Amino acid sequence: MVLDLTMSMAILALLGALATIAGCLEDLESDVGSQSNPNSQVQLAPQMGFLHRIFNKAISGEPISNGMSDVTGGTVTSVLLSAKFYPLTAIVIGAFVAAILYGIYATTSYAGRVASQTRFKQPLYMDIMRYTTPSIIGHNFIVNFCLVAIAYIQYAVLGYPFSIPFLALIWGISVGAIGSSVGDVHYGGEREFQNREFGCGLNTALSGRIVRKAESGLRNSIDNVWFCAKFGGPATGIGLGLTVFFSSWRTTIWGYTWEAMGVGVIILVIMIILNRLTEISVKNAYGPYKEDKEEKEAGSVAH
Amino acid sequence: MSEIKERSPDQLMVFGIIGGLLGIYLTYLLPLAGERIGGKIEIVLNTIAPVAGALGAICAVIWGADAVRRVAKYGLGTGVPSIGQIALGMGIIAAMFGLAIIKTQPLAGPVVAVITASIIGFIIGWFAQNVIKMKIPVMIRCMTEIAAAGAIIIIGYSAAVAGNYDFVNNLIPRVFDNGVILFIFWVGAVAMLHPFNACLGPDEKQKRMLYLAGSTGASTMAIVGLAAIITIGASGAITMILGIVLWIIFYKKFWDEVYNDAASVVGTGLIPKTEA
Repeated sequence: MVLDLTMSMAILALLGALATIAGCLEDLESDVGSQSNPNSQVQLAPQMGFLHRIFNKAISGEPISNGMSDVTGGTVTSVLLSAKFYPLTAIVIGAFVAAILYGIYATTSYAGRVASQTRFKQPLYMDIMRYTTPSIIGHNFIVNFCLVAIAYIQYAVLGYPFSIPFLALIWGISVGAIGSSVGDVHYGGEREFQNREFGCGLNTALSGRIVRKAESGLRNSIDNVWFCAKFGGPATGIGLGLTVFFSSWRTTIWGYTWEAMGVGVIILVIMIILNRLTEISVKNAYGPYKEDKEEKEAGSVAH
Repeated sequence: MSEIKERSPDQLMVFGIIGGLLGIYLTYLLPLAGERIGGKIEIVLNTIAPVAGALGAICAVIWGADAVRRVAKYGLGTGVPSIGQIALGMGIIAAMFGLAIIKTQPLAGPVVAVITASIIGFIIGWFAQNVIKMKIPVMIRCMTEIAAAGAIIIIGYSAAVAGNYDFVNNLIPRVFDNGVILFIFWVGAVAMLHPFNACLGPDEKQKRMLYLAGSTGASTMAIVGLAAIITIGASGAITMILGIVLWIIFYKKFWDEVYNDAASVVGTGLIPKTEA
C-alpha cells in the first residue's frame, strides 16, 4: 500500500507511541517478577540466609521470554486473521493467549525455584503467587498487544514482506534486549541495595544481601514495580520508542536513499556526543568509586 | 542425591527417540493404513494422525529437558537458555536438511534429520570441549542429545500443524509460509530449556523437572493445535484439546511435587527467622 507523506508520518507516530508503551510495560513486567539481571540476587538471597517475599520469575532472559510471548501472540493473531476475524479482535485474543501462556511459565518458575531452595528454608508464599501472577499477565498482555499491533501494521499497512509471527518475534527480542539493558539498571543497585550508598558498586561480600523490608511491612514485587515505574520503565519506553522513531523517520522522509543513510549517521554522532556528556556530568556529580570502609559505614547507617 | 531414584539418561534417550520418531512416523503411516482399510476408520485415522506428531514432540521435549539438565548442572546458570536456543537452532537446520534432501523416500526423512542433528551436535559439543575447553565431561554426549531432541521437536510439532512431514507439499505452505515455524522454533526451545531453568537450585529434583517438561511440551501442543485448526481442521481441535488435558495433568503433577519438595508452602506470613 502506498501512502502519502501525512499518512506515513501518522503511521510512524503510531508505531513510536506503541513502541514506547511496550518498552515501558516490558521493563515493569520484568521488575514485577525480578527477571533478568536482578534475578541473580533474588536467587542468591536465601543461600546467604536472607529469606524474602519477592517473586522469582526465571523464564530465561528478557529477549527470549518476550520473544516467546510475542511470537505466540503473532501466531495466534495470524491464525485468527486467516479465519476472517477483525484485526483488532485477532490482536487482542492473540495477545491474551500469549500472556496467559507467559503467566503459566511464570508460576512454574517461581514454584520450581523456591522448591529447589528447600535446604535454605525459603517458604513458598501462595499470596505472592496469587497477586503477582495476574500483574505479570496484565503487563505482558499490554506488551504483546502493542508489539503484535506494530507487526500487524508493518505487515498489512506498510507491506513488509515478512509474516506477522516473524515481525512479532523480532519486536519481542528487541523489546527484551532494550528492557534488559536500559531498565534493569534501575532495579538492581537502586532497589535491591538501596541501603548502600548510591553508586557504590556491588561488593562480592554483599551478594544476595538484598533489601527485604519495605517502607511499611515486608517488601514484595509490587513494591518493586511501584519504584521502577518512576524511572526505569519510562526510560526503557523512551529507549524503544526513540529507536523505532529514529530508524523509521529518516526512511519515511527521504525514502531508501543515501540521504537517509547520512541522516542516520548524523543521528548516531549526536547520540554518541550526548552519551559522553551525560557520562562526564554523572562522574562529576558522584565522583570516583569510594573505598570499602566508607561503603560499610554508609551501609550500617542506612540499615 | 544418590538415594533419590532417577530415570537414567539412557532410559530417557530411548523414550525420546522411540516415542518421538514413532509419533512422527504415525502421522505418515496412519493415513496409509486407513487407505487400506477404507470406510469410516480411514476418516478417523486421518483425523488422529497429526495428533501423534505433537505427542512425539512432547517425548522429545522431556528427553531434551533432561539432557539440558545434565549439561547445565555443571554451573551453567545463565547458559541454560542459550543451550535451549542452540539446540533448536541445530535442530531446525537438521530437520529442514533431512526432510528436504530426501523427497523420493519419505520414510527416511526424519531419521536422516535426527542423524544430521546428532552430527552437528557432536561437532559443536566437540568444539566446546576441545577448542573452547569448557571441561564438562558430558558436554559432547549432551550436545548430541539435545540437537537430536531439537530436530524431533521441530518435525513433530510441524507435522502436527501440516498434517504430515512431507516437506514440499505440506510443510512449506502450511508451516513455513505463514510463520508458524517460528513459533515452533522459539516456543519449542523455551519448552525444552524452561524445565531445568525454572527448577534451578541446590535441591532440584529430576521428577519435578520431568513433570514440568511434560507441562511445557503440552502447553506448546495446545497452541500448535490452535494453529492446526486453520491448516488442517478437525485434527487441530483434537491436538488442542488433548494438549490442554495433558497440560492440566502434568501441571497438577508438577504442583504436587512442589508441595512435597518445598520447605513450606504457606498462604501468607512473615519471613522465618534465620541467622542472618
